[in-house]
Amino acid sequence: MTGTWASRLIIGLTLTFLIGPFFIIIAAGLSAGDFLAFPPDGLSLKWYLKVFEVESFRESFALSMFLAVFGTIAALILGVPAAYAISRYQIPYGETIKTIVAAPIIVPGIIVGLALLRYLVVPLNFTITLALFLAHTALVLPYAVRVVSSSLNNLRSDMEEAAVLLGCSRLGAFFRVVLPNIQSGVLAAFILGFVTSFNQVPVSLFLSGPGVRTLPIDMLSYMEITYDPSVAALSALLALMSVVIVFVAEKFLGFSRYV
Amino acid sequence: MSSAFVSLQNVSLAYGKTVVVPDLRLDIRKGELVALLGPSGCGKTTTMRAIAGLMSLHAGSISIDGVDMSRTPANKRGVGLVFQSYALFPHLNAFENVAFGLRLKKLPRTEIIGRVEHGLSTVGLSHLAQRKPAEMSGGQQQRLSLARSLVMEPKVLLLDEPLSNLDARLRLEMRTELQRVQRDTGITMIFVTHDQSEALALADRIVLMKDGVIEQLGTADDLYNRPETEFAADFFGFENIFEVSGSSIRGPQGSVSISFTAKAGHLAWRPGAVKIGSGPHKATVRGVAFAGEHREYVFDTGLGQIKASAPAGEPAYELGASLSFDLPEDGALSIPAKN
Repeated sequence: MTGTWASRLIIGLTLTFLIGPFFIIIAAGLSAGDFLAFPPDGLSLKWYLKVFEVESFRESFALSMFLAVFGTIAALILGVPAAYAISRYQIPYGETIKTIVAAPIIVPGIIVGLALLRYLVVPLNFTITLALFLAHTALVLPYAVRVVSSSLNNLRSDMEEAAVLLGCSRLGAFFRVVLPNIQSGVLAAFILGFVTSFNQVPVSLFLSGPGVRTLPIDMLSYMEITYDPSVAALSALLALMSVVIVFVAEKFLGFSRYV
Repeated sequence: MSSAFVSLQNVSLAYGKTVVVPDLRLDIRKGELVALLGPSGCGKTTTMRAIAGLMSLHAGSISIDGVDMSRTPANKRGVGLVFQSYALFPHLNAFENVAFGLRLKKLPRTEIIGRVEHGLSTVGLSHLAQRKPAEMSGGQQQRLSLARSLVMEPKVLLLDEPLSNLDARLRLEMRTELQRVQRDTGITMIFVTHDQSEALALADRIVLMKDGVIEQLGTADDLYNRPETEFAADFFGFENIFEVSGSSIRGPQGSVSISFTAKAGHLAWRPGAVKIGSGPHKATVRGVAFAGEHREYVFDTGLGQIKASAPAGEPAYELGASLSFDLPEDGALSIPAKN
């Protein structure tokens, strides 16, 4: 028995609280009416189809995908060697470095966004896309370092020495022995970074400029003008995308080990 | 020495500012099986890592087969190492683990297959070629690790505590295996151990180390029967060691006279050499433990505590019993005083 009816009730209420809004959004998107409402005003798929016809959604989706994919890859290119150095060598202030690397997720996004705007974009005249790319890379970096560190810590370092004694260079040992054995950790970091970047609002809010917006920001500004159910439909589709990604990751990688 | 195959000259090793091995000289002949023996922290593993090139020299030089290797990186030394933890590659199967080094050498495909198959059959793992290390037992993993090093035909094969992770039965099996491989290949082997019985059973010569210094170097027979220092004597089972002063010996609790004349230095007895039941000295039984063929005792005596043992067939002494004992000349090891 997993518990009394009281504990089940609490679990049930918690799940309703967490998942309930998701169903409301799905249902609201199915509305046949012209305004965002729940319960939906009749049933139709038209708003789900309309999402694909709004040009700004297509553009901002492409930008968000670009940032999520390449920002995360950049974060991994920086983060994997950093995690390796921190876990393998006795670096002075290694723990402090780890904490500083984690700063972008500890400091509120609004502050990060404002700081980047004030001290990078304005004085240095960065393009909005470049600023967004740098910001997303920085925001994903902590996840890359943490997740990859934890899989490196589970990997014995004498394996690399064994590879070296069999003729590998140090770098060769990293690519032939270390990387294959932490690949699921790297993939987990990628997925976590992708989702984090894709859902990022506060930092992107400050950096988005005219005509260049990430999808969540675009949805916000769309709603300010047009209060139709297409935003609900889009939200439901995005949530579904996240669910599928995490489900697949859990199924094939045991994602929950890393998060 | 010209016959030396592996030669360590005035080798000094340090971690940062901590000197672990101050000044080591050691010559190992081709085809020899040498044990580096000592308690943990004695520098034996550090010395082995220095030979492998995993640790740089603070001072001195290491040469292998007449070539100075002091500055040669680990991947160019032609030295194999079987790690205590085996250090197998978990993402590769047994075949690919063994093929790893051969592929790096860019050997022709058929030669790689031939050498890997031969290597696996040498250690009796041909039937498990497709298994991943995680699907193999500890003994099989160890043999796989040995095969992975052997196929590289190293000039020197180093083994770090090769038997310590195995249970008693596998240990005997692996010991036999190592001896056979060494006989068949004639490869020079150096292994590190803290277990004197492993060293005695396997090695042609034993290098006993303490605090980074060679305490004694010799054959198993030399070290077991003729240890030259108090440390060596204690390590090889002469657990009762007393300082000689005139016609008596002195322990931590006091002195007793001995019935024979001894040279200055120390006298040492194995527990089995202590004569129980009669003799000029008195003892109280402080501890007794049944150990199969023997009963092991700890006595409180005028010298302090001594360890003794008697065949299990003899009548047992209870805890707290009083008895007489002797430390006879027969069975006494004389350790001359250092100059």
